[in-house]
Amino acid sequence: MNLLRYYLRKVFTVLRNEVLVLPSRIVVLLFFLSMLLIPLVVDDPYFIRILVLTSIFAIFAASWDLLSGFTGQINFGHALFFGVGAYGSAIMNQHGLPHWATIPLGALVAVAAGLVVGVPCLRLRGTYLALTTLAFPIILLGIVFAFPGLTGGELGISGLTRLSTSRTVTYYIVVVIMLLSCAAMWKITDSKIGIIFHAIREDELAVKAAGINTTLYKLLAFCLSGFFAGIAGGLYAHFMRIAGPSTLEVQMSFQVVIYSVFGGIATIWGPVGAVFILVPLMEFFRLWPEFRTLMFAFVVILILLYMPGGLLPWIRNKVEEECPRCKIRNLVTRRVCRVCAADMR
Amino acid sequence: MTEPFLQVTDLSKRFGGLKATNNVSFNIARDEIVGLIGPNGAGKTTLLRLITGILKPDAGTIRFKGKNITGMKVWDIVNLGIAGTFQNMRPFRRLPIIANVMVSCLSPRAMKTGEWVKRIEAKAMDALEFAGISDMALEKASTLSQGDLKRLEVARAIATEPELLLLDEPFGGLSPAEADLMAQSVKRLHKGGRFGRLHSEGPAMIIIEHKLQQLMRIVDRVIVLNYGEVLLESSPEEVVKHPAVIESYLGKGDE
Repeated sequence: MNLLRYYLRKVFTVLRNEVLVLPSRIVVLLFFLSMLLIPLVVDDPYFIRILVLTSIFAIFAASWDLLSGFTGQINFGHALFFGVGAYGSAIMNQHGLPHWATIPLGALVAVAAGLVVGVPCLRLRGTYLALTTLAFPIILLGIVFAFPGLTGGELGISGLTRLSTSRTVTYYIVVVIMLLSCAAMWKITDSKIGIIFHAIREDELAVKAAGINTTLYKLLAFCLSGFFAGIAGGLYAHFMRIAGPSTLEVQMSFQVVIYSVFGGIATIWGPVGAVFILVPLMEFFRLWPEFRTLMFAFVVILILLYMPGGLLPWIRNKVEEECPRCKIRNLVTRRVCRVCAADMR
Repeated sequence: MTEPFLQVTDLSKRFGGLKATNNVSFNIARDEIVGLIGPNGAGKTTLLRLITGILKPDAGTIRFKGKNITGMKVWDIVNLGIAGTFQNMRPFRRLPIIANVMVSCLSPRAMKTGEWVKRIEAKAMDALEFAGISDMALEKASTLSQGDLKRLEVARAIATEPELLLLDEPFGGLSPAEADLMAQSVKRLHKGGRFGRLHSEGPAMIIIEHKLQQLMRIVDRVIVLNYGEVLLESSPEEVVKHPAVIESYLGKGDE
């Protein structure tokens, strides 16, 4: 009982001193809570379906950010990992494995794909790397069409087992995996590994000269990114109950780049937020089907013109500012820093 | 007979038609500070980059503590104990200064004592303290001046706890007074010991520098390069009097 009281008090202290002091952290808290509570309030199948798809794409976008935003290995073929995850779990599901095994195994296949892409790409950088990565999903698409016996060709593999027969349970499976994956990715980028990823993006030679095996870390970035994108792919395949060539299309690869750049790269939370703004917005634009893509493009271009760092970092910088002395973020209205009491004016 | 600490034998590197270094050979002992001087384009930086493994030599061998390190990966060489700085500073501009140094602290060599994050930050802080920019630790590296970037380069190099430190113009961009201070701290580093949580092995050093006044005060021996070849290898007192050095630095007099 005392232990329980201790932990409750601890949670309460963290909440009061760390979370409720910054708007961005309050937003994250509200996001977590609302994602977990929505099905208790809303029971509209269409709405739930959009939220599930959005969650899947949020994992996908965050995984692109982990690779390209942090280590600067610009990947224009990220659909490869998504597609490999989807096809991998679909093929295994076809052979009788249940979905709780196929999704992680599919993600492991995507890790292998990360190695396959990563090793030849180690020697490339910048534009050359981006163009080379663009080719990989197209190659795999060719392979998919070449072996219709295994992959179902243009029709894909359909009739996969559902994540769950209940809509609410499906929602919770996907959303909890999404929240956990995004938290894990954020934690990775906030660790020692994250510092090295940042540094590789800034200047790879200087990282080598600091005694860090950059090859290892770049491959690690490819594998981690592939793993999370593979999870997204597996979830997508099981949710849609089909793994088709559309998961490997160029459009998929570019969508994720648009989401990330829109939300602010090298943040993890930026792309996640962007997906939760853009995917529902795209659904909303279905009211005017002829102008849907046009309006979408207009919104994206407008944001990128006026907020080149991405929408969410821009908003965050408007409501919070760094203390000039200790670099801790503070609410913009504060006169003195909440930690070091330095003058914020 | 024991192996020399660093042994460079017949090292050659060409860039197209230009022989950047040509059959350069020298040895360095464990407890030496060696100055490397010569006019612009003499191949000093190329030589340093060959030793740190950033460039691969066309011919010749480099042996460090009896081990052939020619053609090894840059990070392997660093983890053996050779750290170098860049002449044109290459900080991670969008990272805070302390994170710049933490990258070096995360190398296997610096990590081998098995430290956890808080210690690494403390160690990075001590490296910055040594270089004299610890008060700016949380600023972005892009806000630093040229002189402070030099100090950051030094801090990053010593954070890997090297046994051989290669400094490429460490006094460049510093005022004479600051250069004097830097020279003193380099000398202090060479003596070894602990600087806070940062351990110094008392590294041997090769220093490239044009500010001869500060350089000559701290070095034991000077190697003069010209057109990619070793012109002279001698004590600092003799080097500054040597006619060939005066000629290559100041030009030939009329008389």
